[in-house]
Amino acid sequence: MQELVQTKKEVYPYNPTWCPGCGDFAIWASIKKGIEGTGSPREKIAIFYDVGCSGDMADFLAYWGFHTLHGRALPTAVGAKLANHDLKVVIVIGDGGCYGEGGTHFLNLMRGNHDITVIVHNNHRYSLTTGQMSPTTDKGTKTKSTPEGSVEEPLNPIAISLTNHASFVAREFAPDIPRLAQRITEGIGHIGFSIIDVLQPCPVFNPVQNHEWYRQRMVKLEELGHNPNDRKAAWNQVMRDDDKLPIGLFFQESKPAYHEQVSELSQSPLVNHSIETVNLSALIKEFE
Amino acid sequence: MDRDNIVWKVAGAAGEGIMSTGLLFSKTCARHGWYIFDYTEYPSLITGGHNTYQVHAAKHPVFSQNLNVDVLAAINKDGLDFHLEELAANSVVLYDGQDDSINISEYRIKGKAIDLPMVELARDVGGKELMGNNVALGASIYLFGLDLNLLEEVISDVFGDKGKEVVDLNKKAASIGFQYMAQKTRPILKVEKQPDVKHLTLTGNEAVCLGALAGGLQFYAAYPMTPSSSVLHYLAACAKKTPTQIVVKHAEDEISAANMACGAAFAGTRAMVGTSGGGFCYMVEALGLCGVAELPVVFFEAMRPGPALGLPTWTAQGDLNFVLSASHGEFPRFVLAPGDAQEAFDIAKKSMELAEKYQTPVILLSDKYLAESRHTFKLDQTVFQNARFGLDFNPQIDDSGFYPRYELTDTGISKRSIPGFGWGPHLANSYTHTKYGLSSEESSDRKNQVDKRFRKMDLMTGEIPPQFWDVDLDAKITFISFGSTKGSLLAAKQILKKDNIPVSILNLSWLWPFPKDQVKKVIESSRNVVVIEGNYLGQLAGLIAQETGVMIKERYHRFDGRPFYPEEIVTFVKNFKA
Repeated sequence: MQELVQTKKEVYPYNPTWCPGCGDFAIWASIKKGIEGTGSPREKIAIFYDVGCSGDMADFLAYWGFHTLHGRALPTAVGAKLANHDLKVVIVIGDGGCYGEGGTHFLNLMRGNHDITVIVHNNHRYSLTTGQMSPTTDKGTKTKSTPEGSVEEPLNPIAISLTNHASFVAREFAPDIPRLAQRITEGIGHIGFSIIDVLQPCPVFNPVQNHEWYRQRMVKLEELGHNPNDRKAAWNQVMRDDDKLPIGLFFQESKPAYHEQVSELSQSPLVNHSIETVNLSALIKEFE
Repeated sequence: MDRDNIVWKVAGAAGEGIMSTGLLFSKTCARHGWYIFDYTEYPSLITGGHNTYQVHAAKHPVFSQNLNVDVLAAINKDGLDFHLEELAANSVVLYDGQDDSINISEYRIKGKAIDLPMVELARDVGGKELMGNNVALGASIYLFGLDLNLLEEVISDVFGDKGKEVVDLNKKAASIGFQYMAQKTRPILKVEKQPDVKHLTLTGNEAVCLGALAGGLQFYAAYPMTPSSSVLHYLAACAKKTPTQIVVKHAEDEISAANMACGAAFAGTRAMVGTSGGGFCYMVEALGLCGVAELPVVFFEAMRPGPALGLPTWTAQGDLNFVLSASHGEFPRFVLAPGDAQEAFDIAKKSMELAEKYQTPVILLSDKYLAESRHTFKLDQTVFQNARFGLDFNPQIDDSGFYPRYELTDTGISKRSIPGFGWGPHLANSYTHTKYGLSSEESSDRKNQVDKRFRKMDLMTGEIPPQFWDVDLDAKITFISFGSTKGSLLAAKQILKKDNIPVSILNLSWLWPFPKDQVKKVIESSRNVVVIEGNYLGQLAGLIAQETGVMIKERYHRFDGRPFYPEEIVTFVKNFKA
């Protein structure tokens, strides 16, 4: 088992800055536990953080990390994965970064089945910027940027992922650390694009969707007898007519990851190839 | 006509193979041991619209396109209508008299017009209408006294992978054009093969590709945008042929491409992205990220006239100010602008090295004129060595549990631990950070890290090589230019030499850090300095003023999408009054 540097409280320079009651604490703990659960050597883990309260976790975890630009954690992570596919690549991102600012990347990199694990802290708000609506905010919600109630319908990340070729699609509840950690372990272990949408209470800017609100609505997919290999059944669960919020593994399929389909990467990771000597002879002929 | 120097142009509709016809003619000239310069014009369309391909070939080095054309192959009516001004008394124009839209008696043509039934002859040998281009090509080969065998050899090489049938058909069409012309007229010239002279020819973009590969390029990401797209196409096509492994990613947008490159650089590979000005706008935030996180990424930016969509398929040098200051905040960068294919190769190779050595972004600035024009090119060697810089594969963490990736050093350059190699965790961080990369809002961290990054500028400035300085002590005028204007100036100088009018040329390929001392010296030793550049505002002149304190008033600007023509520079010089 790896040694987690952040357990050495006496040396770690930063303490989390999240508000009391923030779901990020639990996700933080789950990520640590979830990575530990994979048994991967710590030097082979790289975490890409987006911007927001979630991304502030960058300073609270001692792994190779990259605190990227807002909305851009996915492409940055994909670049690193293509450069060194021996790395286990994890993304810590919020609903604003993943579904709003970085929505194009979310949609398109999913299609490539890049082998990355996207952990979305979905609190239905932009909280670091003090509580505006996010892409997942329910229609009609009054926020700082929508004082008369938001006009847009909320984006459904699970339905989109199911439709758009993601190969591991899950939703979990932040405060349930053992369960979320287990799902993160599975997501990292899954070869391909895994998305875990994490329902996260934000007591400061979204007091309505609190623990109680979620507990009244959540149902566990495994208790419903859901088969995660059945995409249509997964759709039915995510598009339920009642107010139930299923959590668990919606869908998983096994198919080649992006880097497994790039012939140049078939032998070893790109970064392992020497560039010390480059011979261009084979390329010159066409210019004669 | 000048026996050492020919100009040929093929003109017709876009989508009708004008580009490949031009390439065949150009390669045939090069296989005669002649130097070439090819210039293309085309609209932002797939079919329809007007395309031209001009080949300027000579026994001596050629640097530029020409206003006047010796032989014009007019594939359609527009080919005649748009280019009659370019003909001189001894020029020849080939047209298809069977084209009903052409009534040749309505034209006042300088030189000789020859009716060549291109389409009919192409059909005679079993080809389709489009094969008429090849008939005109064969006829042109005859007119210049070029060797038909060499053209056939080129056809085999270029179309070889399309199969024997295509090759044979192309050869037949060229051959019948050649023979038809032989019955009608005498050649206007006999181009002699220069034995033992072997030229490579390639475009500026191809030179950038080869240079970047020679410099150890491993990861290239892009979103298509003219005139940078051929870099994406070339690298994608050659990914399997390169002896070093490269990954080429067509990303969903330029933002993704640039951020992917940041990730690839963080993971220890040499990374480059490519785009034009509009796409570079999208990449700018990632450029700043490379600045603050000290990531080695090369940004290839091939300019076209902007702003916004501008003129997609034409040329400009209007992004200089933009790339010099792109991004909010401040950080060191290189801005390099090669002047021809040779420099494009060398500077692209150097860019890969500089980015890694200084852990900062390099902007490799080109333009449509350089990117897509074909140049004669010489490669003295095909095997290249690359040193690696700053990579720490045996990282040591300190008491914090982290690796001091952004350690304050005298040079401003710190060592990099690479994910997956040993245990040297750090945070590449878009926020202001400590030496471990952890976020910090402390005044001292902010100040120390900004100072550290800018300390690199001393060594970066020391990298500036001598700039291209073609001096004539009797010169009345010294031109200062940057990038691709070099070729037009050299061509103008060749013409002016015949009239005994000497000029000097200082062409800058290093724009940042700015070669202040070299420029100052040239200004001080020159009688009259003219800044010539492809933009409205005089951005280079502004940069010179900022860096040397000298405001040069004499300017020559062009911003209509067209490159500078040597003949027009000659006129400018002759009319110049100090």
